[in-house]
Amino acid sequence: MTQWRVIELEEHDAYINMAVDEAILENVRDGKASPTIRFYRWHPSAVSIGRFQSMQEEVRVGACRDLGVGYVRRITGGGAVYHDYDGELTYSIIGKEGLFSSGIHDSYRQICGYVVNGLKRIGIESQFVPINDVITNGKKISGNAQTRREGVLLQHGTILYKLDISRMFLLLNVSKEKVSDKMVKSVEERVTSVCALSAATFAELYASMFKSFTDGKEFSIGKLSQDEMHRAQELSKRYSSDEWNLSR
Amino acid sequence: MHGDAKLKVPGGKLVAVKVTYSRKIEGIQILGDFFIHPEESLAQIEECLVGMDSGASSDEIAKRIDSLARERGIQMIGITPEAIAQVMRMAIK
Repeated sequence: MTQWRVIELEEHDAYINMAVDEAILENVRDGKASPTIRFYRWHPSAVSIGRFQSMQEEVRVGACRDLGVGYVRRITGGGAVYHDYDGELTYSIIGKEGLFSSGIHDSYRQICGYVVNGLKRIGIESQFVPINDVITNGKKISGNAQTRREGVLLQHGTILYKLDISRMFLLLNVSKEKVSDKMVKSVEERVTSVCALSAATFAELYASMFKSFTDGKEFSIGKLSQDEMHRAQELSKRYSSDEWNLSR
Repeated sequence: MHGDAKLKVPGGKLVAVKVTYSRKIEGIQILGDFFIHPEESLAQIEECLVGMDSGASSDEIAKRIDSLARERGIQMIGITPEAIAQVMRMAIK
């Protein structure tokens, strides 16, 4: 049976968080690391954008700088996300493609299924909706993004714990005219969070996701290797550079 | 000349293009919240469109992208060659 490494909840800035995911992907590819499940938060809070989005068009970079909020381009596609420190839990799962359902859609379904089961453990019924969302009562509660490189699959995703819509609008590039009550209502109609649906604490959400992601797997609690930490430091330079973040 | 346009692919993602053109397409950037594997392929798709006649039909543009995707094993999720072609035609006035 495959032995998984689980890295317990950590907090890092945006650049290290993205760099750690990529460093693990490289080590898994090179056979130097076990397939890995990782849980993390963003400190300070940050905005991430998809690989093919324009930072200037999606993000109020000036507001991020003023408020000490990070901003980073992911290696994965998908949309812009505000990762509020108090408002969400992020996971990543990294392993050789053969460990997952074949086909991109089926593997999204499989991994998002862990999110669905984790939510169920705290009393929230939800379902996977292709391409990459988990919804409950028609509202998005989790967004997910996947890449595949040289036979390795990396998927990271967020589970919304608490919504801070006004801060989200400050940081994401929506015109002032659009930040009306109507627009806020529109977001509330499309997005929800654990806090809106359950009395579960953040710790309970994390515990339920931990259980769901590891259910039926042989695993041990692990840490990053020295090699991975060193590589993550190197990669974080790219993730914090304008050359990368403002490349589109 | 410069043009830009965006389109929400039905059942898919948002795709936007920024294009510089005269009689030929001189430069193009494809943006959006879609997925492409491998990610580096998007630059190849953009490159394959540069130099095309700016009056090329949606069909011709889509065929060129589709041909490259088949040749290189590029997977597109939430976006199609036809959607890129359609939004390009919208951007080129």
